[in-house]
Amino acid sequence: MLFQIAWRNIWRSKLRSMIVIGSVLLGVWALTFLMSFNRSLINGYIDDAIRYQTSHIQIHLPEFVEDREVAFLLPDGEKLFESLKEEETTAAISLRTSLSGMIKSPRAAQGITITGVMPSYEKEITRLDEKILEGTFLDGSKRNQIMVSQKLAEKLKLKLRKKVQLQFQDVNGEFTGATFRVVGIYKTGNTVFDLSNILVNRKDLNRLLGKKDASHEIALLLKDKQQLDVVKQKITADHPNLLIEDYKEISPDVKLYEQQIGVSLAIFGTIFMLALIFGIINTMLMAVLERNREIGMLMAVGMNKLRVFGMIVMETLLLGMIGAPIGLFLGFLTVSYFGEHGINLGAFAEGAERFGIQTVIKTDLDTNVYLIIMFGVLITALIASIYPSFKAIKLKPVEAIRKI
Amino acid sequence: MAIIEINNIEKTYNPSKVPVHALRGVDLQIKKGEFTAIVGPSGSGKTTLLNIIGGLDSPTTGQIIINGQDISKLSDNNMIDFRKENIGFVFQAYNLIPVLTALENVEFIMVLQKKDKKARQERAKELLTAVGLADKLDKRPSELSGGQQQRVAVARALASKPAFILADEPTANLDSTSTAGLLDMMAKMNEEEGMTFVFSTHDQRVIDRARRVVTLVDGKIESDIYNG
Repeated sequence: MLFQIAWRNIWRSKLRSMIVIGSVLLGVWALTFLMSFNRSLINGYIDDAIRYQTSHIQIHLPEFVEDREVAFLLPDGEKLFESLKEEETTAAISLRTSLSGMIKSPRAAQGITITGVMPSYEKEITRLDEKILEGTFLDGSKRNQIMVSQKLAEKLKLKLRKKVQLQFQDVNGEFTGATFRVVGIYKTGNTVFDLSNILVNRKDLNRLLGKKDASHEIALLLKDKQQLDVVKQKITADHPNLLIEDYKEISPDVKLYEQQIGVSLAIFGTIFMLALIFGIINTMLMAVLERNREIGMLMAVGMNKLRVFGMIVMETLLLGMIGAPIGLFLGFLTVSYFGEHGINLGAFAEGAERFGIQTVIKTDLDTNVYLIIMFGVLITALIASIYPSFKAIKLKPVEAIRKI
Repeated sequence: MAIIEINNIEKTYNPSKVPVHALRGVDLQIKKGEFTAIVGPSGSGKTTLLNIIGGLDSPTTGQIIINGQDISKLSDNNMIDFRKENIGFVFQAYNLIPVLTALENVEFIMVLQKKDKKARQERAKELLTAVGLADKLDKRPSELSGGQQQRVAVARALASKPAFILADEPTANLDSTSTAGLLDMMAKMNEEEGMTFVFSTHDQRVIDRARRVVTLVDGKIESDIYNG
């Protein structure tokens, strides 16, 4: 019956209760959406960084990472590539020759990272073939094919099938170079990556370097990110002379962003909880003060303080817990909708691209975050109920009802 | 043996500032089955006396024994439990729980006593039938007249099977017909079931029906008269 009384009590002042329930509902909905948006934004950045730049794991000679000299080749790189390719945990793998050089068009020139790739394997890692705006991915059918980004093409005034010159040092430190023909123009949405990278066939690059089996880098994408530490430890143990790095080590900003997801969850959550606590305290305090006489009567006829306390706590929890599931459900619908259709950053797209942020955010949220929010509302309501409940049990029946 | 035994009770409000002596050495004994009215002008101390008998207030000095137990020293929570088991209250303003029906209001006190649902529903129906509200079980207080609400309050007071019922000006807000009906009902319960009633009242109709009238003036008992 205590539950019955608590339930009916919250509907005594419908408008007031609806305002609190509505606030909880809107707050939970906004929090869910905001968390999802923020998480998806950061995850998009991280996914892009893993996809286009770092992969899950990269393998180099330690000296190569210190000083990107062309001579610091992976010993037996092709053999290691073949063995890792067969591992259960491997989703995709690519063997690369990577060096710094110059790209020159008839109009302009700039420094660039030239990456020699094995097209069929590279596609599986970067999926750049899905990002091609014009032309095709490297196929190796002709010599000296090159893929450039749209941004770089605009900067160097390049077009499809136009020629560019690449210049770099070979393994002996001699300057070399060749003319390459643009076969594909892509756009990843990550301006930083797009402006500083070009792709060529590894066999073309190796021929120019004067070493057919040259390789500087193995990029590894795992089937399950959770396996990262185990796989990394195993490769490190098997190849102690190589530097095995995961994406967090390669790109500390990715690690920072990853940590930021948790931090932002805590910040948003705390702000929301604080606002909610004061809202609920205010409402429940009004409800208690208005019912002074009634609460006094309950205590007079034999309702002990624990039960009075419990009744006010129950009313507060009910207020919080009616709005929360509805807010979560609306949040889930919103997250699902924008997960399907995406949120176009529109006017901010160019700025976002410059920071390597995707311009269309597809929202997504883990089930456990919904549970955390629900639990958070429960705790918030519980905290908010303490003061009004104490206020209620502090009442002296004789003062509350004035006289029997 | 007296159900209520009051020995030299004094009650002083604001003892350190401007002392107000509400009760000045009151001695009173009320036996089982009495139908007693405590009367007196405003400020005479009758409300204070009823509050003290009901365990809602404590005396400054003196002793109050209910059903053989000295309640002057009970803690707040023990006092609440004591009230629940021993005292039935009827308030001037009815003070029913507005969100509960008549049946639930009467049941409520038995919920606090942890009685099982079937037993408490049976007793609540029985009591509401006895006070003439068998057809109003599902009505909420706002759907009942003042007289009907006070009948529910009496049924609620009786539900816990208390040692006695304290009623503060129970007819103050009722019309003549309702007052007569309520008094008849309470008198019947007093006569047939031996239930002890203690009223505070100004209402001459109540005073006329009381078998004992205790008059308080300036915090002292001025007269204590048995009517037949």
